[in-house]
Amino acid sequence: MARLNVSTSFVLCIQGHLFSIRLFMEIILGLGRMIVMELKSKEDILEMLEGYEKIVLFGDSGCAQMCDVGGILQLEDMTDFLADHGKDVLGYVFVEGGLCDEFATKQELEKHKNMLEEADAFLVQACGVATQNLTEMVPEKISLPAVDSDFLGTMPERFHHDERCSMCGECVLDLTGGICPITRCAKGLLNGPCGGSMDGMCERDEDTECAWQLIYDRLREIDKLDNIKRIWEMKDWSKKHGPKTIVHEAKDALFQ
Amino acid sequence: MVLKPLFMKPRTLYSSNPFFSRQPKQISISLVRLPYTCTEEIQILVQTHLSRLLEDNRFVVTAEVGPPHGADEQLLIDRVLHVKDYCDALNLTDNVRGIPTMSSMVCSHFVRDCGIEPVMQMSARDRNRILFESELYGAYALGIRNVCFMTGDHSLLGSHPEAKMVYDLDSIQALQLASHLMSGNDLAGDTLEGTPHFYLGATFNPYADPIELQSWRVNKKHKAGARFFQTQAIYGVSRFERFMNRLDVDAIKTLAGIIPLKGPRMARFMNRKIPGIKIPETMIRRLVDAGDGLSGNEKRGVVRSEGIRIALETIEKVRAIDGVDGIHIMGVGWEESIPTLVKEAGLYPRPKKGE
Repeated sequence: MARLNVSTSFVLCIQGHLFSIRLFMEIILGLGRMIVMELKSKEDILEMLEGYEKIVLFGDSGCAQMCDVGGILQLEDMTDFLADHGKDVLGYVFVEGGLCDEFATKQELEKHKNMLEEADAFLVQACGVATQNLTEMVPEKISLPAVDSDFLGTMPERFHHDERCSMCGECVLDLTGGICPITRCAKGLLNGPCGGSMDGMCERDEDTECAWQLIYDRLREIDKLDNIKRIWEMKDWSKKHGPKTIVHEAKDALFQ
Repeated sequence: MVLKPLFMKPRTLYSSNPFFSRQPKQISISLVRLPYTCTEEIQILVQTHLSRLLEDNRFVVTAEVGPPHGADEQLLIDRVLHVKDYCDALNLTDNVRGIPTMSSMVCSHFVRDCGIEPVMQMSARDRNRILFESELYGAYALGIRNVCFMTGDHSLLGSHPEAKMVYDLDSIQALQLASHLMSGNDLAGDTLEGTPHFYLGATFNPYADPIELQSWRVNKKHKAGARFFQTQAIYGVSRFERFMNRLDVDAIKTLAGIIPLKGPRMARFMNRKIPGIKIPETMIRRLVDAGDGLSGNEKRGVVRSEGIRIALETIEKVRAIDGVDGIHIMGVGWEESIPTLVKEAGLYPRPKKGE
């Protein structure tokens, strides 16, 4: 740790810049992968803020910004909206990266200490992790969710999100040509498709592709159809059962 | 140096991952292996009227009645008495399209009391492996021996779209589970207090895509223990024939699905709302033309006769296809058509039990 000197700082500084550039590129080029969320309705937000007058907003440059719920623009819109409805918005806290990053969030909390002390409630324009993180970090204040977290997905273009991962705890993408049947099949079948797959589409609605048709096409392309010719045994769903905690062992092999 | 710990961040983030720092340990096994009995070795220890007729290569007729949408079992009994002499076994559907109806197990029990053999349907949508096991024990205790497994329609298509679907298992894994129970142990490997035995069945839809993968699924179901298959309703026969040509028809028994059409409105509704149904436009045209220029009861009668005629033609055609061992008539709210169809197709009377 003593060797963490100027040159390291410089490298990490550059890394920080690269991170912002990457985020920018992700927004422009649509390379995002994120927790996808939507703002709750105006009525819901006003209802949950009833009785709280001095509000501080929270947003971040990660998922919240990419989903257009907690970027600078939305924080400012929310400020105007709440002011129009008689609330006293003291300001906002915007975390570079994500509110899920406790460390980065603490830095920002420190910076805005005075404003936060004055607040009655925090309105969090980020995912449920962010709201819970703030509740734990600042238990003396009430943190309220301004958004509903929907799924883990991609952003092929701005405002467009597709679900991609169910976080089932046991990835099978190696066997399915990189297409997740648990997430993208409407029934999450492991020996799909069901009898409702027609002309490449799912029985659920005419806009959803049949994931098993996609898997079949992809595996045929890469000559791995054998993967799905055999029966897939029952899945161990206990790997998905929460609440879960993972503690990685800290070792410094990568940089040695 | 307030920012110092922040700089440490990426460093610890990456290097703390055991993946980079240790001998690779076994990170994941693929899907779980439970103490299965190899299902191909399972001896079918149970004989049912249905299994006997199929093994004797008799042309079998099964039918289907919808359980009541409520608690009146008399409604069910009335429907059953109406059709029971016209089929060899009777399917009890399991909350089709996610619309709640009386439990297929309970209905199977009533059907048995009516003197006809039930085929209990079980869908994977509403039960996890625990309930599958529990209900299979109960079904066996009630004297139910034919069980037919299916995936189950998506609940968004029915009246309870807000419901949480289960899909702990798919239909193939459910068949594996049922086969495994016949070994005398449950999935945990614990010895059962009474071993159930079933004649297992499954479904397939020849119109579903991709056709190659769908035919593999029939193989998988057979490997998992399915001995008889009931298909989705057949309308266009050529695709069905093409599908049958892909199957090892000697290994399985197939009952071709028949749903007589009441009229063009029903046909269009089914094309739109029932998963996996493909009624050709020419067929719908025939129904429209039949009722052309008529009205009221007269129109209804003529259109329905045309629907029966189409179903009879389909029965005739599927009988000629290699590997078809019978038909499965689904009344879908028009159970009265079943006796007519069976008689006019020359399939009446049905063989008596034990004959």
